[in-house]
Amino acid sequence: MSAAPRALSRTRAEVAAGARELARAWRPSATIVAACIAAAALVPPALGSLVRLDALAATLYLGVAALGLGLTVGRAGIPSLAQGAFMAIGAFVAAAIRDGDHASVLVAAIAGAAAAGAAGAVSGAGIVRLRPVFVAVGTWILSWLVAFALLSFPSLSGGVEGRPVPQGELAGIALTPRAHYELALALVVLVAGAVALLGRGAFGIRLAAARDHTGAALALGIRVVRLRVAAFAVSAAVAGLAGALAVQLARVADPTAYGAFLSFQLLVAVLLGGAAATLGPLAGVLALSGISLAARVVLLGASGERWNPMLAALLLVVVLSAGGAGIVPWARALDRRLRPGAPRSRAPRTPRATPRPKPIDGVKLEADALTKRYGALAALDDVSFALAAGSVNALVGPNGSGKTTALRLLAGTQRPDAGTVLLDGRDVTSLPTSARVELGVVRTLQAAGSFRELTALEHVLAGSALRRGYAGPLRTVARTPLARTEEKEATERALDVLAFLGLEAAANVRAGELSGFEQRLLMLAAALGTEPRVLLLDEPAAGAAATDLPRLARIVESIHERGITILLVEHDLRLVRSVAARVLVLDAGRLIADGSPSEVSREPAVRAAYLGRRSLA
Amino acid sequence: MSLALQVVVTGLGAGGVYGLVAIGHTLIYRLTGILHFALGDLIGLGVFSTLLVAAGTGAVAQPSVGASRFVVALAVGLAVCAAASAGSYVYAIQPYVTRGWTLGWAAATVAVAFAIRTTLQAVFSRSAYVFPDPLPFRRIGREGFVTVAGASIQVRTFYVIALSIAIAALATLTLERTRFGRALQAVAADAEGARIVGIPVERYIALAFAAAGAVAAIAAVAAAPSAPFDVGAGTLLGLKGLVAALLVRFGSPIAAFAAGLFVGVLESAAAGLVVYGHQLGPQWRDVVPLALALLLLFARRPRFAELVE
Repeated sequence: MSAAPRALSRTRAEVAAGARELARAWRPSATIVAACIAAAALVPPALGSLVRLDALAATLYLGVAALGLGLTVGRAGIPSLAQGAFMAIGAFVAAAIRDGDHASVLVAAIAGAAAAGAAGAVSGAGIVRLRPVFVAVGTWILSWLVAFALLSFPSLSGGVEGRPVPQGELAGIALTPRAHYELALALVVLVAGAVALLGRGAFGIRLAAARDHTGAALALGIRVVRLRVAAFAVSAAVAGLAGALAVQLARVADPTAYGAFLSFQLLVAVLLGGAAATLGPLAGVLALSGISLAARVVLLGASGERWNPMLAALLLVVVLSAGGAGIVPWARALDRRLRPGAPRSRAPRTPRATPRPKPIDGVKLEADALTKRYGALAALDDVSFALAAGSVNALVGPNGSGKTTALRLLAGTQRPDAGTVLLDGRDVTSLPTSARVELGVVRTLQAAGSFRELTALEHVLAGSALRRGYAGPLRTVARTPLARTEEKEATERALDVLAFLGLEAAANVRAGELSGFEQRLLMLAAALGTEPRVLLLDEPAAGAAATDLPRLARIVESIHERGITILLVEHDLRLVRSVAARVLVLDAGRLIADGSPSEVSREPAVRAAYLGRRSLA
Repeated sequence: MSLALQVVVTGLGAGGVYGLVAIGHTLIYRLTGILHFALGDLIGLGVFSTLLVAAGTGAVAQPSVGASRFVVALAVGLAVCAAASAGSYVYAIQPYVTRGWTLGWAAATVAVAFAIRTTLQAVFSRSAYVFPDPLPFRRIGREGFVTVAGASIQVRTFYVIALSIAIAALATLTLERTRFGRALQAVAADAEGARIVGIPVERYIALAFAAAGAVAAIAAVAAAPSAPFDVGAGTLLGLKGLVAALLVRFGSPIAAFAAGLFVGVLESAAAGLVVYGHQLGPQWRDVVPLALALLLLFARRPRFAELVE
């Protein structure tokens, strides 16, 4: 068989597989969306002069920018007030390129998106690591900076008149209002699909994990800053694309149309429609334009456009005071209430056979003369120990004795002032957390709660993402065969992890709806998702009911049976005695005892420092 | 030399007002941990309310308003500004600060800003307004200008600078010496502790919001007759004050005021700055301070991992 037919048959198989997958994933809501797209494509053009297609197309381009912002605000939780500024960058770069009609619309659109994306990456690198308050401040200032730059430099923006944009064509089709409308609609569908895929894939899961609990996400080896910058840049590029096409539609790039109000309007649209739903921002833009149009027709007359900011402000107040969820989530909640029997997600999976987890080669982890000081206080003072491969060890000590500091140094969250950390003989002291997680050292946090909005399954996927090679944003959106196969395997493995912890029934339940203890187990599940060889557990039993302890002990035991090296920081001595073969005792930053539980409990120093007059036995 | 003097004095005149706005931003940030994006527009609301009572919405000749009517107008303007500012805290900020929801208060304060701006634009539809001046500065020197060391300077600029400094000093004294001021400092240090010792925290914060708006509005009203004034001017004041407060990282009120003066001089000088043999020109005056604030914000690199756990 020659290459071409083989490629053809493979393609055919892929298309068939894709169709089957689509059929499986098809839900009633998909029918509604498909019907809406079909109606939007057919009805307005058929109405002729009754509707202004150019105004509709402009609204849809705004919707594209809002869909991009939805990724930043919703999945990433970045309160951005600068989306309009990125739209402006795309608009004016495109207008400058189209000046004199030397370059095609396509080139201008790509350049606009690229320029906005680059601006988003640069400003994002500065903004996303700030606290939320200063993220809001930074994006707000950015928004005004771009607005002032446009107004102050007529050479860039064309001044009050704006920059004229010549009539253009795309792929040989003249860009009439109708062509723009169809293009905008296609773009809305594409961008919404891409945002949905990104949000649901490993990219979005990790973003949401970092949003819900940044510290726990970092401990899982998620490179939070890099991920957020990527999300910010992607959403800026989408805004730039929308801006570039919007000026082509308006035939002029008007600096007054790209002020801070545009950013505000887009944010209102996202909140109004619902940041948590992919289509929320689009619904928000449509609602905002619809209400504005209705207000002009009914109340204000032709000059009513200047009341748009007031209208947006009022709508925002309404949506905020109603809790801030937005239209699409409200509609879903209403639908659930009206049809209580309807399944909330895909049908429950068929029960699985209890998996036989594959054994893991635990490795040796050594701390050599670790010292960490906070000012004059030595939180950890010349502490050395070696954890044998596959052993279960407990680290105990009074409050403030340096246990958590020791775990942070081992996991890479903090660097020691002196001493080294050796993993299987290799010096990893200078490696950041993410690199250590890749090498197999992962830590769960003390009293971490969970990633509230993620399902149990997504917790594990957040952890396992760093073991995947084809889960990047581009492959996720393109749904390449490799990415799809890998995703299926990752899901299977994640379900195995949940089954291992007895959480399989909760796979599609959001963590916020589970009990406190189950949420703690989910963080353990996420850590196991990274396929660790050394597991550092910081007080897994804290806050657990007495009845949960045997279950926790069994879990630690079965993790041990898989061969994973375990270091457990724990106050509950019943748990320590039942699982740990070796106990290390810290007091005021120094290691004062090291041995089996019964040996340690006989040490006078331990009794004096830690147990008072009571004995372990 | 004469040009430099003119640049500095003009800059200080604008900067005095920015400084008072910066004090307001600092106070608000220290009390609530948030920033009020509508502070400038609230000040604009105070200025235009004063104008409405003093001279209506039509064209105004500068000397046309008598002192007594102006005092009434100023009182009304400040009352409106203070009430709106306190109201914005109670209705647009406090509910979201309690929930720790950044997006909520950020969007709500911006909404307040645009609501005020839209309303003002509807009432004051001309592109620029001349503000009445009850004080007879125009009789001093040549039409209100004097020549100092070769530089021609508007006399009222000195008045605005002196008044701003006086108000800033008064504000600092109030914060340091009075019972109310010390109570606010207690709230800023530990709101929960302040509540326990019996300070009515929410009421005091609302009062501080009212004061933050009104104090800056006094200076804005004093400065307004110096140049034509439009509806967007309040927004600009808020932004410049924010930039100044950011420059000193919401430090002491005195530092914030000094930073305001610096921003005023910076933007006044920006036009004359020469970069790589190229004079920047007046179009840079709004862009330079904002860009500087953004760069400073970006330069601030907290050690991320340790910050979040």
